[in-house]
Amino acid sequence: MESAPPMPAARVAIEELVYRSCLALDAKDFKAYLDLCDESFRYTITAYSPEIRKDMIWLDHDKPEMQLLFSNLPKHISDHSPLARHAIVYTVELGADQRQAHVVSALQVFKTSLDGGATELFAIGRYLDTVSVDGGSPRLQKRVVKLETRQFGFGYHIPF
Amino acid sequence: MSRNAAEWSQLPKFPRSHFVDSRIYTDEAIFREEQQRVFAKSWIIGCHETEIPGAFDYRTFRHPGGTPLIIVRGDDMKVRCFYNVCPHRGNTLLYDPVGNAKRITCIFHQWSFDTKGNCVDITREEQGFQKRFCKADAGLREVRAEIGFGGFVWVNLDDGAPTLAEYIGDALSMLEPYMSMPLEVFHYHKAIVNTNYKLWHDTNSEFYHDYLHYFNRVTGMMQPGYFERKYVGYPNGHASVGSMTIKYDAYEGGKARGVGWPGLAPGGWILIDIFPAMTYNLRTSVLRMDTSIPLGPNQLLIEFRGLGLKSDTPEQRAERVRDHNTIWGPFGRNLHEDLLAVHGQGRAMRPGSEATWILQGREENMTIHDEGGMRHFYAEWSRRMGRQAHDPYGAERAPATA
Repeated sequence: MESAPPMPAARVAIEELVYRSCLALDAKDFKAYLDLCDESFRYTITAYSPEIRKDMIWLDHDKPEMQLLFSNLPKHISDHSPLARHAIVYTVELGADQRQAHVVSALQVFKTSLDGGATELFAIGRYLDTVSVDGGSPRLQKRVVKLETRQFGFGYHIPF
Repeated sequence: MSRNAAEWSQLPKFPRSHFVDSRIYTDEAIFREEQQRVFAKSWIIGCHETEIPGAFDYRTFRHPGGTPLIIVRGDDMKVRCFYNVCPHRGNTLLYDPVGNAKRITCIFHQWSFDTKGNCVDITREEQGFQKRFCKADAGLREVRAEIGFGGFVWVNLDDGAPTLAEYIGDALSMLEPYMSMPLEVFHYHKAIVNTNYKLWHDTNSEFYHDYLHYFNRVTGMMQPGYFERKYVGYPNGHASVGSMTIKYDAYEGGKARGVGWPGLAPGGWILIDIFPAMTYNLRTSVLRMDTSIPLGPNQLLIEFRGLGLKSDTPEQRAERVRDHNTIWGPFGRNLHEDLLAVHGQGRAMRPGSEATWILQGREENMTIHDEGGMRHFYAEWSRRMGRQAHDPYGAERAPATA
């Protein structure tokens, strides 16, 4: 794919989109999160397993399925320890048509226990985002969370 | 009405087979005994044959008896198992979880072994050992290995144990028709939870805890046939739960599952617990396999595998992966709930805490909310341990027979 140097203002807006997505999920403000996403949004969590030498897909949802995942959460029993998602945008590559950007961010997820407030590193990985940039605010069209971490103890219901 | 200390300690008004002493979940000495009397004498799943498809492919495995193992396919395509320990100075031979090794060479002093366990090189052998020690004295310790029951590689540390077929008996007969075609692992992950392995196996041995799962309540418990599912106990502590039809579209956003499993009724579900800590769980389109590896009395490593058919088209496989992830993936609806519950048990039952009784007293004609599956496990556990699960330190202690 041909890439053009990103406009600084566009990069700032794209970075803010990534960071706002973290803030929204940290706050469990799922509406705010989905508002950042295009109607064509697709969310996928992947990980490579050296043990079976395979790429694995751990979650693969479109926008209505993400909405459903969030709206069903209160019906399930979940750990309520808050997560903090720390992203750093590494690269932003604008497509040749200047309508999409491909964004690579480093991701760290920290979990803080409700009882005592101890914080642990919960997961690391990368956001591989496709962002629409053709007019108006940039929106997430696709997010692939490529995880390095594959062990989560007793786990968590809310994706990263 | 709440109870005082004396009342709290009173024996439950059940037969002694219907409760256990919680100290069997926390006692370090009992855990060490379990490693020797239970795990080191049982057939345990080490990996699946598709994880080592080619000659010289290997997989390392931390055996729940405490021994690190190598499972390797030789150039004759036979799968063998060895201690992952160099007979020279006790170093780990293979460090990675998976790989391909024509020669298994210790990084420390470069002693080298073939995939049949023969020592094929001792560096500066004659200079150091003259004629006192040679390669023939330095073979690897081989461990019995058999492939079976869905293509899993089973290992047994006990050279005198019965065969795998004798150990399993008829316990997997309900599943065998559905495992006749080659299977393939598409999902693997581990979880470490601060709990006892028996508590995880208990969770896989009783369905009364479907109250924990919203998904199971609406797709199973509220559907016809649920309360007719029956437990069947088999020799050696194994147990099965019969099938029913799961109504997946009863969960908001859920869909009836299309891909299914050859021969299994649509929405069918069969679960079989293999003593001491493995569970086959065939649910509609996916076979899940849990293998528990206790790391201590209150620390458990669980290996989770998801399997489909080796013959799957990409579309079929994608559907199985999706079905698996909905409830059993690391972000699935049910797995987190199950793990959270056993974590809670591990948190509540602490070493040194006052002994309490863990009840397994439900009797519903061995149907789905009967706790007979757990009772069947603890009868075998008690036999092998020479300790009664309800009275592990008592005067009634019987000699170990396993």
